[in-house]
Amino acid sequence: MGRSLAFVISIGALMMSGAPALQAAETVWSGLVMAENVAQPQSIPPELTRIEGSLKRFFGYNQFQVIGQSEKVLKTGQEDWLATSKFFGLHVDARGESPGGYVLNLKLYKEKELLLETEAKLSKRSPLVIKGPQVGGGQLLLVLVVQ
Amino acid sequence: MKTFEEKWTAWLDDQLSGHELSEFEASLPDKAAAETEKAEARKLRELLKRELSAQPLTNEEFFSHQLREKITQKSRELPRAVAGQTATSRWWTIPRLLWAGSASLAVFLVFTVAVIHEKNPAEESQYLTQILNARVDPIVSPNATVAIFEVKQDRVTVLWTEGLQSLPADYAAK
Repeated sequence: MGRSLAFVISIGALMMSGAPALQAAETVWSGLVMAENVAQPQSIPPELTRIEGSLKRFFGYNQFQVIGQSEKVLKTGQEDWLATSKFFGLHVDARGESPGGYVLNLKLYKEKELLLETEAKLSKRSPLVIKGPQVGGGQLLLVLVVQ
Repeated sequence: MKTFEEKWTAWLDDQLSGHELSEFEASLPDKAAAETEKAEARKLRELLKRELSAQPLTNEEFFSHQLREKITQKSRELPRAVAGQTATSRWWTIPRLLWAGSASLAVFLVFTVAVIHEKNPAEESQYLTQILNARVDPIVSPNATVAIFEVKQDRVTVLWTEGLQSLPADYAAK
């Protein structure tokens, strides 16, 4: 009985000590999304499934298509990356990790022209959606999710 | 050679005899007063002897019995105390330590869960993404504004821009 108890305690200790290490490397998905109203909407990309309801309610479109994306594994919380489409570029500069999430500096470019700049604390449990410019009959959205 | 005081003390104690006694009594200036004093001294001695003598114990047996009981009781308590010390040191064996460790861990987990549950409602906003600042290029989009919304149902934070430069549909290309 003493052995089993020691085993249980060891497992518990390992789980507790391993938890911060597991949190250290996380992936951030950044996407340039075109939202449109079409007669026959395509199914939503898997990265957006968890916020599909919010996107449809909030923006009033029935189709969401990814026109540019990037997946970045954050190890230090100081990385930077770019998600691009043919005309747009989203530059993300991670500026450190806090208990609530990552501090990110985001810049949306249309070709080489800076349209929008924002700084956000991206929570690991809470996606960020930015309403970009109107493009034709649709809307450009920028979406960031910690996976 | 005895002094007068020594002879006086010896006379009071009836220690003088023979020639020495008769010689001392002849030397006394007032023999009647001396005899009275001797009689009083004798009375005092008898009184002191009577009053200051040690009181005989009427229940000697009882006291010795009590004493023996005490000694027996003490000699019984001593091995028990030694045995108690041994038992205490034996208590912290490895199984006991494991039990104590697991009990402490359980208490810690209970408190941790309680604290987390208590903190969650107050710190809910901490788990939502926060917009720290936002800026739209005033030259490209002079009338643009920004607003922040939180959709708590899906924990989504929305940065809502209005008045950004509209672009033709070609810009939707991948």
